[in-house]
Amino acid sequence: MINKQNNKLGWLFASPYIIFGLVFFLGPLLWSLYLSFTNWDLIAPTYDFVGMDNFKKAMHAPGVQASFWVTYKFMMLFVPLVIVMSLGVALVIQGLPKFKSVYLIGFFLPYLSSGVVASLIVQGFLSYNSPVNEFLRKTFGLNIDWLGTPLSALFIVGLILAWKFTGYYALILTSGLESIDKEVYEAAAIDGVTQGQRFWKITLPLLYPALYTTLILAFGVTFGIFTEVYQLTGGGPNFATNTWQMEIFNQAFTNLQAGYASAIAIMASIVTFISIFVIRKLLESWGKRNGWV
Amino acid sequence: MKKSRYSLLVAVTLLGGTMLTACGSGGNGGQSANGVTTIEFWAAPNPSQQAFWQEMAKEYATVNPDVKVNVSAIKESPSSEASIQAAIAGGNAPTIAENINRGFAAQLSNSKALVALDDLPQFKEIVESRNMTETIAPWEFADGHQYVLPIYSNPMLIGWRTDILKEIGYNEPPKTYSEVLDATKKLKAKYPDKYMWGKGADLADPTAWKRWFDFFLLYNAASDGNKFIEGQKFVADDKAGVETLTFVDDLRKANGILSQNATDPFENGVGVFTDIGPWTFDLWKTKYPELKYGENYTLTLPPVPDDMDPANAKTYADAKGLVIFNSAPEASKEAAAEFLKWVYSDENHDVAWFKQTNLPPARDDLNELEGFKQILAEKPELAPYAAAVSKGVPAMDNPKFNELQTLIGQEAFTKVIRGQIDPQTGWNNMKKAIEGELQ
Repeated sequence: MINKQNNKLGWLFASPYIIFGLVFFLGPLLWSLYLSFTNWDLIAPTYDFVGMDNFKKAMHAPGVQASFWVTYKFMMLFVPLVIVMSLGVALVIQGLPKFKSVYLIGFFLPYLSSGVVASLIVQGFLSYNSPVNEFLRKTFGLNIDWLGTPLSALFIVGLILAWKFTGYYALILTSGLESIDKEVYEAAAIDGVTQGQRFWKITLPLLYPALYTTLILAFGVTFGIFTEVYQLTGGGPNFATNTWQMEIFNQAFTNLQAGYASAIAIMASIVTFISIFVIRKLLESWGKRNGWV
Repeated sequence: MKKSRYSLLVAVTLLGGTMLTACGSGGNGGQSANGVTTIEFWAAPNPSQQAFWQEMAKEYATVNPDVKVNVSAIKESPSSEASIQAAIAGGNAPTIAENINRGFAAQLSNSKALVALDDLPQFKEIVESRNMTETIAPWEFADGHQYVLPIYSNPMLIGWRTDILKEIGYNEPPKTYSEVLDATKKLKAKYPDKYMWGKGADLADPTAWKRWFDFFLLYNAASDGNKFIEGQKFVADDKAGVETLTFVDDLRKANGILSQNATDPFENGVGVFTDIGPWTFDLWKTKYPELKYGENYTLTLPPVPDDMDPANAKTYADAKGLVIFNSAPEASKEAAAEFLKWVYSDENHDVAWFKQTNLPPARDDLNELEGFKQILAEKPELAPYAAAVSKGVPAMDNPKFNELQTLIGQEAFTKVIRGQIDPQTGWNNMKKAIEGELQ
């Protein structure tokens, strides 16, 4: 009797999330899947089922091919950058005698900032007639088209994202560092370990659970990049920063091809799912190989 | 046990669904129980345009109390086109929307979302009373219908920094390709950090609409307004197209193009020329009050190839208009047509529009009516626009205009700007890609 009542209560408490998931995730996912087999623009009174045509078209579209590779380029740039930065911040904060949480909040603030505003500030900062570029031109004769060169455009977007997410990941890593027993460090100090050995042999292995979470989150971010690219480069130059979200947006809201955009969205979901699965397995095997889990 | 669990889940889901449904919008404006017909009017998200339509709605309420015109701004999240698309899909489309260009109208009409205005009994009267027979003629769509009632037509002009030109020995702006290239050499010799075409990153951005304000400006001038696409055919003037790209390429080789991100390069004197629309002047009044028409800048038609007459150059017309949506209730559609007939039966409404927005009304008698003459005397910078209305070529009316114009950038224009392709190959690649898209 109590079990039955507990079950009902359990379902009742879980129901808001279940409804939310059904309405805002499962429903749109199924609708998107249906749309991906049509040529509908959401406006026309009639539409046709086009089978796999949208998927075939997407496979050969330069914009879609670019989004596939651009995501991994961002991954190679953003993930090491944000992990090194957040780990650095976490280690510095952990070593502070007091006001740790104040500093943590300070670093966390960029995460709450608007991507649009941050992008506009960066845009002004890097414009041809900004003080920075005036200085570079007049002092070193350098005229750099920061957002018009593929590599620097990728780097700038990656850097903004790293700035935005460093504080958030540092928060996770700080809690991981705080959970490491201080006695381990004391014992190591008695044994005469160096600072480097202390980090590689104690901190990193014991931080692995927090690092694992942070890495998965960071890899996930690269599949959803939109605002910064939309504001700064529009996916250019020559698709050099064209992410999945940018391509889906252009097809759905500029070209009004909801069916085709849905097919790209489904492809993006599959690629994301497979990539995260593989990355997760690699991280787990890395942990197991070193005996950290 | 299992049954009750499922019943509970179903009940909770239904409850949630009902709540969400209740949150949704109900109806989109038609005739209410008290006999008042509502017109939902989506105005451009520009305060002066919004204010004009709100005034019209207020005045119309006194003339016709049985009709209520609700004016609101088109939401721009993520874009006004996307908002309209979402509204139609969600069954919440307005009765009328303004700020619609021909390309987007072609997309909408292709999906049967728009009322063919020429089928309305009021249409002929509106065109005649507004004196816009000639202006509306090129707005006819490939299927022979008129889906957009043009409100304004901005012939895009080239703004020249005459103060900088004077410093390099020019008392008036160069008009032909050779003259522009010659001026570029002199500019670079004196000011290596300044550029002749100082537009910034838009030139290297393949986004479709940006081609209206660079490629089509020059192409329309070089081709004497030859169409680019007609129906489903690529009919562009190859010679003029290659000439346009060659001019751009020559200007790039002379280091005369600023195609990287820059803050207001024309206004800040980094660039000598750029495209200027009349909406710019109100902004300049507060942000760049030092810019004065006739003193340190002037406006001209785009430069042309050496063998053409610059005085008769064509340009791109940034023109937008009103549409009536098919999904609106019949009573609202009928009331909307009557409302538009009322607005455009009085020329003073167009005078008020011009005064408030700086956007030249799409009518044939812009330079003749006293009201317009007064405004042009007060704002001399608008006079070149009024004079060039007949030189403006509106955008293509192809439902795939976004894809097609993206290809112009991707295959030819932005590549030439970056020096990644020669003009002839760029043109050939673009033509092939566009013809493929049109099939």
